[in-house]
Order: sequence, then structure tokens, then C-alpha cells
Amino acid sequence: MKKHNEQFEKNIARLVKSTGEQQIPSEHFTNDLIEEALKGLPKDQPRRQKRSTIMKPFIKSFIKIAACVTIVGALLSAILMPSLQTSKERAASVVMKYDQLQMDILYEEGYATGSMAHGGTTPPNGEDVDAMFFKTYGVNPFVDTEDDHLSTFAIDVDTGSYTVCRRYLQQGNLPPKEAVRVEEFVNYFKYDYPAPREDNFAVFFEAMPWQFGAERKNTQLMRIGLKAMEIPDEHRKPAILTFVIDVSGSMNRENRLGLVKQSLRMLIDKLRPEDKIGIAVYGSRGRHILRHTGLEDKYAILEAINSLQSEGSTNAEEGIRIGYDMADKAFVPGYINRVILCSDGVANVGRTGHEEIFKMIKDKADKGVTLSALGFGMGNYNDVLMERLGDKGNGYYAYIDTLDEAKRLFSNLTGALQVVARDVKIQVDFNPDVVRSYRLIGYENRDVADVDFRNDKVDGGEIGAGHSTTALYELKLWPEKAGKIATTYIRYKDPDTFEVTEISADFDSQQTAEGFSDISNSFALASVVTEFAEIMRESYWAKGAKLEDTLAKAKQIHTELEDNTDVNELVDLIDRASRLLKDKTATEPAPIHDEDGPQPAEIHYK
Amino acid sequence: MEPHMVQTTDSSLEIQIGSPDVWRQVLARTVPQLYGMFIRRGSHPALAEELTQKTVFDAIRRYETYEPSKGTPEQWLFTIGKNNLALEMRNRQNHAKPDSDLLKYLDAMDSAPLPDEVLERKETAELVRTALSQLDAKEQAVLTSKYLDDMSARQIGQAMKLTEKAVHNLLYRARIALRDKLIQLAPQFREEQQI
Repeated sequence: MKKHNEQFEKNIARLVKSTGEQQIPSEHFTNDLIEEALKGLPKDQPRRQKRSTIMKPFIKSFIKIAACVTIVGALLSAILMPSLQTSKERAASVVMKYDQLQMDILYEEGYATGSMAHGGTTPPNGEDVDAMFFKTYGVNPFVDTEDDHLSTFAIDVDTGSYTVCRRYLQQGNLPPKEAVRVEEFVNYFKYDYPAPREDNFAVFFEAMPWQFGAERKNTQLMRIGLKAMEIPDEHRKPAILTFVIDVSGSMNRENRLGLVKQSLRMLIDKLRPEDKIGIAVYGSRGRHILRHTGLEDKYAILEAINSLQSEGSTNAEEGIRIGYDMADKAFVPGYINRVILCSDGVANVGRTGHEEIFKMIKDKADKGVTLSALGFGMGNYNDVLMERLGDKGNGYYAYIDTLDEAKRLFSNLTGALQVVARDVKIQVDFNPDVVRSYRLIGYENRDVADVDFRNDKVDGGEIGAGHSTTALYELKLWPEKAGKIATTYIRYKDPDTFEVTEISADFDSQQTAEGFSDISNSFALASVVTEFAEIMRESYWAKGAKLEDTLAKAKQIHTELEDNTDVNELVDLIDRASRLLKDKTATEPAPIHDEDGPQPAEIHYK
Repeated sequence: MEPHMVQTTDSSLEIQIGSPDVWRQVLARTVPQLYGMFIRRGSHPALAEELTQKTVFDAIRRYETYEPSKGTPEQWLFTIGKNNLALEMRNRQNHAKPDSDLLKYLDAMDSAPLPDEVLERKETAELVRTALSQLDAKEQAVLTSKYLDDMSARQIGQAMKLTEKAVHNLLYRARIALRDKLIQLAPQFREEQQI
């Protein structure tokens, strides 16, 4: 990185400006400000015009009355013709559409999705309120090395949280803090770690002094990066894929099902002739619509995909069971056997708890049929369920909001499908002579007890070919102590032979950088993403941190990585978030900065 | 019972529906006035710029809430601006009063923001003017073009016949030179002021 100090430059700018004696701003300032500000106006004037306040109440009541009349009509017809099953279904679907209308009206009134979300863990069964489901797992505290010098967790390669939050911001809302999982933000980005040539894994360390939030002394940010070996596409194992597709009424919204279809077509273009695809769907009932078919019969597969239509309520459990039955029948040892669930995670029919599904998915995963959860949709999306399904299924969880995101996900199809290490766990052993305390940033729901690190019955995370995962620690060092900071142990199983391997690597204080300007671009990026996520989830440790400072760093990275579209997008998102936050704080009383205040006492693990 | 659209050419309504052309005209008039208002109420120039920016972005974000019956768009922007200034002053009361020793802040300016109160002192502006005048002509020009005239590196490059990269390098050197000069002059300057 270029040597650059944002704070220093800002001070110089303000000092030089202080010599200005005019009562008007410079012409450049005025013009730049106007151009920048006008970007915030909507591009589609006519749509906005409809929403002008003069018309709003009138249209709303009109829509409500019309919807009520339609519902009453449909219900009456269902009652008058009880023998006609279809009328009943029609009535049900009208009720659902009315819900949807109400939802749209709420949006119109400016009740952003952010404010509707809640962090509850209530299962969505029987839930008639339209809502988003997120769960908070707390924020890791600083741990004194004297008390516990071991930090143990399971790796995670999920990225869903970042894309969900991106969707919120792009729609002009702050995401609810429960939707932010720092590790998923960090792992969304690609960090150009070189792939190992011989081993399954390569490990990378980097650290720098880090001042974030309230002033803490001798603090460092340390990154541990793990890169799995790459497998050329032609060496990928053949794949038996079973798609379980949610075609319930809710998938009709925002063209979710349309996006699923497009994504599947894209995936099929990337598969090889020896791969096979089977499709099960679920609406009111689950059923299979395509037996496992080889890619040589691509036409039949495409036809099945095109025939998907949304219908009725959501019997996810039945759909998932049918999908697994199909996968069992098509199972080929040594191949990739994967169930891919495409859903918005909303289940309203079937058994109440999800525990049974989780148990079944876990059992199947142990026998070699893994599951990936692909999330679609917003408005009543269930993030908790989708994340846990991916976790239990030894697969992963990703959220697809656009076709571009599907493209990005499938760009490394081999990595997305072929796991190179199972049950990967990391244990970091900090040196108490150098490190006073540490906190793991994120991974709150991936906690593993220290004693279970070498217990191979305890679950870890899975990692695909060429995939990488990154963990960050904030460290408080003892003043003027040098030496080994930590030894990191990584333990994993071979996906085929289940043979256990453990590797380790040391990191020394001499290897730490002097500051933000001396570190690699990829570490700089990871640090900025971490700050962004910490602020967005209102972490205790982000108190006093300013998103503007993070934005300035992000912009700096962007000048170095101009062609990186992910970074470009990140700058835009931080910019949006910082404006929304300013707006929010302007309407709230100023926060009280209490650096000596209590640490978060309650830590919730799953 | 179809509600009919209200057709109007009134610029107040155009503001409410977010018409960029009308907004551009309003902002071209109001931005300099807002800045002047902040300066007159005691803000230093950098703060006046920040408050102007905040006010404009606040208004654009909430354009739909503008109520024509309550006043012109200019009046509305001024109300938002005054609220922002009041908020700024309130936040400032929560902080400790800064030390009178300027040197202390200059020494730490690599890592800590200079307090607004320091930037509002007359002697700070005097010190910076003196320091600037003692810099090499090119360094002085690049700093004032960048921070007083708010020109981009490209525009400065065109004016000074330099590449953009060279402008960045020059700016980098000039900032350090200015800091060193400020630190060098500060004690002597304070004495002069006291005499």
C-alpha cells in the first residue's frame, strides 16, 4: 500500500481551509456537492410521482377495499361449492395475495424491512406476520490469556450474511444488526492467498497495530487466512446433484422462482456429461419432478426447470425428505452427492420444530450426502433456518439476490461442489508472555470447546477446493514484549478416507507490520470489511468507531484495486450505510461514550 | 372513483417528487447561502463545508417529506441546516474543552483529529497563513488549489502541467512540509501573539 495517513491529510485540509476568508464556498466545492447530491434522487420519476402524498391514503384504502371484496368473493365461492377443491385453493391464494398487498403497503408507508426484522428464534410455522428472521449470537469478549490462552472454533465459508445486508443497503435500509455475521462478511471477499502446491492447506498470517472504536492500548489486528488446495475443473469428481426447490406462493414474490430458474440454467451450462441432476419441488405437497438424469439429456432437464410454477403453501419438510430419498437412490460412492435447497426458508406446513429435519440432514451428511442452502428472496426471508441447514448439511449457505451473485457463486463450481477437507477446526494457542488478551471477531456461532479440538466426533466446518477462509483477532499485547504471538493448529478430516490430519504454524511479533500503509492489499481489505461489519452489528467493541474513517480506508484500497468489482461495491455499500447511520443518529440523542463501561457479560452460543 | 393526478408546474412540488433539474437550480442558489450562514455563525471553513454537505444530503434523502405549504425549498434547507448546526454545538458540549497549547495538537496531528475549537481560533489561521507563505511556491500552490479551491488532482495537474501521479507526490511532500513548518513556527508564533 502507498504510505497514506487519512487522519493527517484531513487535519492538513482543515488547517489550510481555515485560512479561507470568503463567505462563500469555492466553485468546485459547490459544483461537486450538487452533482454528488443529485445522485441520491430517484431515476424513475413517474413511479415516484404516484407515491406523492396527495394520492397515498386514497389509493391505499382503495386497494384494501378491493382486496377485501375479492377475498370475501373467493371465500363465498369456496363455501358455496365445497366439492370444488380448486376454489378452496384459490381462496387460500387470494388470502396470501392480500398479505402480500399489505406488505407492499407497509413498504409504501416507509416501514423499511430493517425495522420489521426481529431477532427472534420463533419457528416460522404458523407465523402469520410477515417478517424476516435473524438470530443474534452475541459478540465475543476479550479473553485474558492468563485465564484461557486457547481459542477454538470451527471454520466457516458461508457468505450469505453479506449478500443479505447488501440487499438491505441497496434498497435504502440499514440491515438489522442480527443479520450481520462478521465472518460471512469477511469470507465474501477473495484475498489472493496463493494455493498450496502439495498440502491440503496453506496458512497465512498478518498483523498490524489497529485502533478501532474507543482507545485501547497496544492493540493489534491479526489475520489468519486458510487456503485450500485447488482442483482443476477436469479433475473434479462427477456430481450427483438433487435440487429441492421451494415453489410455494412466497417464491412468487420479487420473481424469486424466476431467479432460481435462471441460476439453475447457468449452473447446468457448467456441468459435465457424467454429472446427473434430479429435481424435487415442494409447495402444498412435496413431489419429485425429474428423476436423476445425465447431462447428455440436457433438454429434459431444461424442460423440467422451465415447467416450475409457484403454488400454494410451503411444506418444506416433505420436499426435503423426498429430495433426500431421491439422492439416496442415486447415490454413488466416491462421487459428489449433494442436495441443493433453493428456498426463501419460509416453512408453514409440516411439523413444528426443525430439529427433526436438522437431525436427518446431519445423519445423511455423515453418510456422504451433503446439503447446500441457497437463499432467495427478501421481505419474509428466514436467514436462521437457511444458515443452520447449510451448517448441519456439511455444505454451505449462500444468499443469491441477483443473477450476478449466482454467476459469482458458480464461477468456481469445483470449489462449490467438491469438499477437500471436512470438520475443519482451528485452535489458536496464544503466548501469554506477549499477548495479554484477545478477542475473536465473529464466528460466535462456530464456537468449539477447547477440549473438543481433538475430539473428532465434534463437528467442524467444510471447505471446498480452492476456497479460502479468514479469521481475525483483535489482540492486546503487553507493552514492549516481543516473541511468539501464537501457534495455530488446524485439524481436519479427509472427505473420502476420514483420515485426520493436524498441521500447525507459528506467528511472531517481528512479523507484524508497522501500520495500515505497510500491509498487503488483501489484509487491508479484510480489516476494512471487519470494521464495516463490526459497526453494522453495533458491536460493543465498535463503540466510538466512525464509519467515515472506514469509508476513507475503503476508498484508498479501491484506488489500489481499481478493477476489483467487489471492492467497488463495498465502497458503495459503506457509503450508503454511513449516510443512513448519520440520518439515524441525527434523529436520536447523542450516544454516551463510556470507555470504562461494562463489557458484554452474556455471550450466547448455540 | 379513480383518483386523478394533480398536474402542476410549481417548483415546490417538483422538489417533492425529486425532479433533478429543479433540485439543481435550488441547490445552486442555496449551497453558497448555507455555507455563508455557517461561517457567520462562527464555524471554521472546513466545518462550514461539512455542515453544508450534511444539510444537502439530508434534504435529498428526505425530499419526499418536503411540505410546500410550510415554506419554500430554500427555507426548508435552512431549517435543516440550523438543526445540524445546533446538533454540532450540542455534541461539542459533551467533549472536554481543548487545551490552549496549539503545539500539543500539532504534534499529534498524524493520529488525532484537530479539535474544532482550535481551528476556529484566529491565531491558528494566522499561523497557517505564515507557514504556507514560507513553503516552496509549488508546495504552496498545490495545497491551496487542493484544499482552498477544492480542485481534483487531475485539475491541478492540468493547471500546473504535471501528471496526476506527480500531483499526488507533490501533495504528499507538501503536507509533510506544512506540518513541519507549523510545528517549527508554533512556539515563536504564540510568543509573538502574546507580545
